[in-house]
Formats: sequence, structure tokens, C-alpha cells
Amino acid sequence: MKTVPLICMFVLLAAPMTVAQAPDQVVKAKVTMASQVVQQKSVIRAAVVAEVDPDYHINDHHPSLNYLIPTEVKLEPAKQVTVQSITYPAGGPKKFAFSDAPLSVYEGTLRIDVALQVDRRAPLGDYKLKGQLAYQACNDHACLPPASIPLVFSFKVTRYRAAAKHSTHHAAE
Amino acid sequence: MDSNEPEKIEAGGAAGPPEPAAKTARPASRGKVLAGAVLAIALVSGLYLVNQYWIKPASKTQATNNGDHPEAPLISLTDIFGKKLDLADYKGKVVVLDFWATWCGPCRVEIPAFMEMQEKYASQGFSVIGISLDDDSQPVVDFYREFKMNYPVAVGTQRIAELYGGVLGLPTTFLIGRDGRLYAKHQGAIDPSVIEDEVQQLLAMGAAGGNTDFKPAALAGTSTHIELGDPATVDSEVPGLNLNRLTAAQKQDLKERLAERRCTCGCNLTLLKCRQVDRACRFSLKVAQEELDKILKAKS
Repeated sequence: MKTVPLICMFVLLAAPMTVAQAPDQVVKAKVTMASQVVQQKSVIRAAVVAEVDPDYHINDHHPSLNYLIPTEVKLEPAKQVTVQSITYPAGGPKKFAFSDAPLSVYEGTLRIDVALQVDRRAPLGDYKLKGQLAYQACNDHACLPPASIPLVFSFKVTRYRAAAKHSTHHAAE
Repeated sequence: MDSNEPEKIEAGGAAGPPEPAAKTARPASRGKVLAGAVLAIALVSGLYLVNQYWIKPASKTQATNNGDHPEAPLISLTDIFGKKLDLADYKGKVVVLDFWATWCGPCRVEIPAFMEMQEKYASQGFSVIGISLDDDSQPVVDFYREFKMNYPVAVGTQRIAELYGGVLGLPTTFLIGRDGRLYAKHQGAIDPSVIEDEVQQLLAMGAAGGNTDFKPAALAGTSTHIELGDPATVDSEVPGLNLNRLTAAQKQDLKERLAERRCTCGCNLTLLKCRQVDRACRFSLKVAQEELDKILKAKS
């Protein structure tokens, strides 16, 4: 009977709409590592990829107005692993009813690049560097409280080995 | 012919050719589709109602004073200049209770209109009270001075926000009548003329209250059915959890369990401490609720 599958399909499609999304989950974020294994005295490259609910925006890391709360990646200090750079994307201009001029905001998916310097004396083994993505989301009519998402940068540090100079010797021969 | 053989009915008999199968099945099929549609709508509606009235209420604070025009929870604060600010002192006045923050653009835009209303209606027994949810009072003081605000402002707490049913977004504005009851709640910024209209209606109320003719604006984000926080949960030793069903020993057990584990929200605090300093943390609330459920289950 064709009506039963149709009913099931309708219910399955409609059911998620009955459960409201919690308003403080308007941003999701994850960490992606360029490599899980890194030598001492080298740089680990990672990215924080965040997705903002389509009905909201979060502020640019350099907000257009001084009272706006910026989007920021914060990392806990770790022994012999230091933050080399955190590169934020440029925000997009958007006009809001509460502002005369467009504001620079992040919408949709954004990627924040993080480079971490591993000290040459960093202990070998597994690391879980903790941090958080701090943000504050608004739509055109209302603002949610500042929030943060915990982040973990997981990687393994191995012994530093200088690159061998084979090509120079072969050329000389 | 074997008498047990079924009698063959041949087409084209004296009664005329039989009706095509499709013609006789069509009314039954239409009925099935209609029944199926009704069933599907009923199922989805049922899911919605279960979520709205069973799952959602079970997952947040149970209000003890709900419905239309509940009493406004009495709050006692110190304003940003150190002066006592007690909502009880405003009984007999119409109050616009505005939850806002200096970092909230839509909130800032509303404030000049509130200042105008304060100026216009104060002599009739009206006041705006601003409850800022900034983390720190200094930006609020700076804003107050820069914009020359003319009504009392205090820095609120998560506890107060929870007593008022949870302030999910800013601005959230409550209209309180002369009788100390809540008449409307507006979530998000709205046209100030809407609030002014409601203020005028409430000002026309007698001191005894009971304005059954009050008509709030028919806008999205506006409600007269206002759910408030349950003080038993809000003021609990583990904020967010109602511990009334626990014995003293079980409460202690729960607190010890929560003190032994760290919250995963990134705060580096124990679950218990996180609950106490960050009531909005859903990570610690979820785990704390699970631990409470384990104790209640073991008890039963």
C-alpha cells in the first residue's frame, strides 16, 4: 500500500521541525589538524572551522563598533608549544536596523587558521592543547549572550631530525 | 462435472459485463489516502505536543507561577551607583523591566525611547528599570553617563534571569502592572510605540489591578502567557536542579559527585562550581541532571 510509506516519509520529514533548536547552539565548531604528528622545532598547522546558524551572525574578530564582542580563538598556555599565529577571515558587511552603517560580521562557515610552534625541547608524546572559540551571536532583532565552544588540538610530538643533505653530495660527485 | 469444483462465472453473462476493477476500488483508495493524511498530521501534531508540553518542560525549570499575568518575581539589587533597587518599592506603579546589555546593538537602539517614556509618564506612576546582563558594571556606568539615562539600572545576574523564566535573547522586556503582575513579555527589539501603547493601557488600570481589558501587541516574540522560573530550582544548592526530593545525605552525595568531576565546557571548574558560577552552561547542567536522575532512580 503506497500510502503507508508516504505517511512514514511525511512524519520523518516533519518530525525534526517539532523540536526547537536550542538558541545557544547557533554556532558549531571543530578543529582540523593538517597533520597529527609533528616534530620538535616545527610548526603545527590547524584550523578551527565554525558554522553559524543561517538566522544569526557573529562579530568579526575586529568588530566594526567598539562595544561589540569579537569572535576569538583562545588557547590555554602549554609548555613548549606556543601560538605562532591565529589568522581570522575577513568578515562580510551587513546592514542591521540597529546600526547606521554596515557591520563586518561572520555568517555561514568560517575558517580560522592556527599555527603552533613546537619548541625543540618539547617533551615527546601526545598533546591535547585546549582552547575555546569565543563568540557572541545576534540576528536583526535580538542578541544571544556571549558563549564559547571548547576546542581540543590533538597531536603527537616526535623527535626532531634534521633533513639529510643527499642531493648536495651526489651533485659534487 | 465434479460438484466440488467452483462454479465458473463467465464474463458477458446475462447481468452484463462486470465493472472494471479500478472503478469499484477508487472511492476506497481516496478514503485510505484521506485517512493516511489525517493519521500523519495527528502523528506530527502529537510529536509537537509531546515536545512542547512534556519534553521541554521536563528539561527546564518548572514554573510555579505561570499563565496569564503571573506575579512578577520580586528582586532586590544594587544599582550601578550603589543605591538599593527593590522591585517591591514599585508596587502601584507601571514598570517596564528591560533586560539588556551594552554589547547588544538592538538593546541600545531601544533605550532612547525608554528614556522618553520615563520622562513622559513618570508623574503618572511609571518607571523603566534596566537590568543589564553585562559581566561587569563599568561599561554600563560608561554607557549610562554617555547617554544620560534617566531611569535606574542595575547589573543583573543569571539567577534573576532564571527567575524571570530565562532570558534567552536580549533585549527581553516585561510589562508589569500596578498590581505587580506581568502583563506582557517581548523578546527581541520591537517598535517602541507598541510598548508605549501597552504602558498607556496599564497606566489606566486602577491600583487594585486586574485589567482584563489589557490587549498586548499581536507580534511575534510577544506573549502574555509567561513562564517563570521555579525558585526551588533557581535557588537550589546545585542551580538548575530541584533537589526537594532528595534527603540531606543524598544532596551531599550529589554535590560530592559533581565536585569530583570537571566540566567539559572549557571552564576548568568542577561540575559543581561550574553550575554555581555559570548557570547557563548546558554541559554541567546535563551531567548534573544525569547524576540527579541516577540518585533518584537508586532511591526508588
